[in-house]
This record gives sequence, C-alpha cells and structure tokens, in this order.
Amino acid sequence: MNSKTCLVVDDSRMIRRVASRILKELKFETEEAENGQDAIDRCRIDMPDAILLDWNMPIMSGLDFLKQLRKEPTGDKPVVVFCTAERDVLKITEALDAGADEYVMKPFDSDIIESKFFQAGLI
Amino acid sequence: MRGALSLNPTYYEALKRLTLELAGVNLGSDHAFLIETRLSALARQEGYDSLDDMVEELFNTGQNRLAVQVVSSLLERDTHFYTDRPSLEKLEHVVIPAIYSSRKGGKIRIVSFGCSSGQEPYCIAMMLDKASDKFPDVKFEIVGVDYPSTALDRARAGRYTHFDVQRGLPIRDLITYFDRKAEDWIIKDHIRQAVKFEETHLLSNLDSLGEFDIVVFRNALPHYSSPAQVRVLRGLSSLVKPLGYLLLGTDETLNHINYGFDTLARQPNVFRKREEKIEIIEDPNIKKPTDRKTFEKAKRRLKDMGELGNSKSA
Repeated sequence: MNSKTCLVVDDSRMIRRVASRILKELKFETEEAENGQDAIDRCRIDMPDAILLDWNMPIMSGLDFLKQLRKEPTGDKPVVVFCTAERDVLKITEALDAGADEYVMKPFDSDIIESKFFQAGLI
Repeated sequence: MRGALSLNPTYYEALKRLTLELAGVNLGSDHAFLIETRLSALARQEGYDSLDDMVEELFNTGQNRLAVQVVSSLLERDTHFYTDRPSLEKLEHVVIPAIYSSRKGGKIRIVSFGCSSGQEPYCIAMMLDKASDKFPDVKFEIVGVDYPSTALDRARAGRYTHFDVQRGLPIRDLITYFDRKAEDWIIKDHIRQAVKFEETHLLSNLDSLGEFDIVVFRNALPHYSSPAQVRVLRGLSSLVKPLGYLLLGTDETLNHINYGFDTLARQPNVFRKREEKIEIIEDPNIKKPTDRKTFEKAKRRLKDMGELGNSKSA
C-alpha cells in the first residue's frame, strides 16, 4: 500500500476520531497525538506526510508545535493544515507566517477536509 | 433548520416537464429529493402550508411569477469556489494572454453564465487581481449571469457561509479578499465592484448583455435537452466577439457543430471565434420559453396528460 501518512493532533478524542475517519476515507494512514509535545515526539520518530493540527491544546499549543517542527531536521517536509476554532484573520495570518500550508476553521465536514487537502497538494 | 416538506409523487413528473418546457433543462431521475428540499424553502417563503398547495396553485392559476420562482429554485446549482480550477487557469494562462498580445490595453469583457451564487465570477475577479501586473493598461469587466434566484441575490451580496468559503477557496485568498462578519465572510468591495450580475434566461434574447471577449459556460451544457443545447450554444456564440473565446468545462465539447468557433490546439474545451461573422439561422421548432403563453401551453399539455390531478382527493 502506497498511501500517505497524516498525524492528527487534537486534545479532543472525538475530533481525532472524526478527522481520522475522514482521512482514512481519503486513503491516508493516520496516527494521533493529543498535544504539541506528543506530536513532536512522534514526528522525531517518524515524520508524516501531513499534519492536521489543532491550535489550543494543553502542554504545547499547535502554533508552538509548528514553530518547533519547522526547526527539526526534515521538519519542512510535512504539509501542515491547521484545524481550529480560531477564525480571526490575525490568527490565521500568524499560523501561515509560522509555516502552515492550509487552514480549516471548525466545525468542519468531510468536504472541507478533502478540499483543503486537495489545495495543499496532498490528494 | 426545518426539514423538507413532502410532495405528492404525481407532481414530480409534472415539475420535471415544466422545467424542461420553461428552461430547456432535464432534471435527472434522482431529483425527487432535491425537488422537495429546494421547493420547501420557497413554499414557506411564499406562505404555503404544503408543497402540494403551492404546486396545485401554480398549475391551477398559471402564475408566471411563481412558475419562474419554482423553476429557478429547481435549477439552483450548488457551486463552490474554484470548481474546475484547470479550466479557470486557462483564462489566465491561455485566453487572456492571447487577447492581450493582440491588443495591449483597452477593455476585456468576460461573462460567466450559470453563475448561481457568484463564486465563479468572483474567482475570475480574484485571479485577475493577482495577475494584474501581467496585464497592465487593461480594464476587465466581469459579468455573472443566471436565472433570477435567491442564489443570485447572495451573489450580489457577496456574502458566504463558513462552509462556502472552505470549499475550494485557498486560505490565503480568504484572508486577502474577504472580511469576516459574524459567522459569515463578505467579499471585499474592490472585488465585489469588479463583478456585475444580470438576471437573464439563457434561452431568451441575450442582446441586452452586449458582446464579450470571453464567454465562460462550464458544466451546465449536459443538463440541457438536445434542442435546448443547440439554442444555448447559438445564443452564446452570438455574444462572443470575432476572435473572442468560449470556454467550456473540462471534457465538454461543441458536439460536432462548431457555431463559428475553432478549437484551440491542445486546449479541447477552449474555442476561438472566427473573424468572419456567421449568420445564425433561427430554428422555428425550438420554443422561446419565457413568456406566459409558453407556460399556459405547458400547463394545458400537462393537464391533457392527466398529470395534474387533485392531490388532495387522490
């Protein structure tokens, strides 16, 4: 099987499950992390092709994770799609400046995830 | 949100025939659910307790206004931003450079037919705004055309939901060209003002729209009946200036009738109009469906076929 890998990072187990289900339908192999630190640890072991990333999480936020990720060896490789309830234009700009490739505003559905992953060149 | 009202199944066929008569469009066999969903909002807006009441009144009184509203609701398309992006990119990378190189300046008029809630003409406006350095001294005039509908009202307002702006629209375009207003996003004034919207039936006389350098008509042609396709394409052809372009959707063709166009090499859905003017011969067998007479005829025909029973007593 030649599918791409996606790390779903969110402190909500429900969101991780829903997102993983959608991504599996899009032929991604998924892994899950519940905060930024957990995600960094996983990326150091195996860098995924894509990361679906929440913003507000305990221990390490999505934004801090992204800044750290881009400093890691091969940390420029994953396509990062933020997936957050933050809708403020300044916040979106901050995420893009930190190296996000696309941005999903919650709530989302499968069409939105597919559309954003398509725009990010993942499918 | 309230659910869809139900419609007596005997009316499905009558509404499909009405849509074919008035708009030349074949609704598919899978449209029963869509008919109920789309007409429910209209029935509530018009103050009817049930869909059957509205449809009965439509056929019993022959209200042209209601007929147009019903057909417009049935034909409303669920459009996204940048649907069929490769076709739109041909505008920027093939069609407009070709016109620009022959002209260097002046005005380029572009029309998007079947624009529904306006995503396509706004995408064209955003695309040209980003490419403005490539085409200095050119003024673009973009017109979106569709049947009168609530979708066209939304297009004029340029206001889109959280879900609308996340289907097809890159995030950088969203923050560059939209302002957030409560739960919705509104397109910025300079883009909204770059697009005009016109209510016109594709099968009616299109002369009032004037001529265009580029006509964009994507992914709608297959929905028309064969005679209506001929009429639609003749109408669109008459709108394109000599050496102007017709852009269809990916994989769409002119079906062996060229309507005065040549296909561009390696661009199978882009057609360039020949310089010489061709005479369009009207086919007397194809109806002009927008006036009350046609509606009355359609209504009589349906009654004759026994399709307009009294659903309450049925």
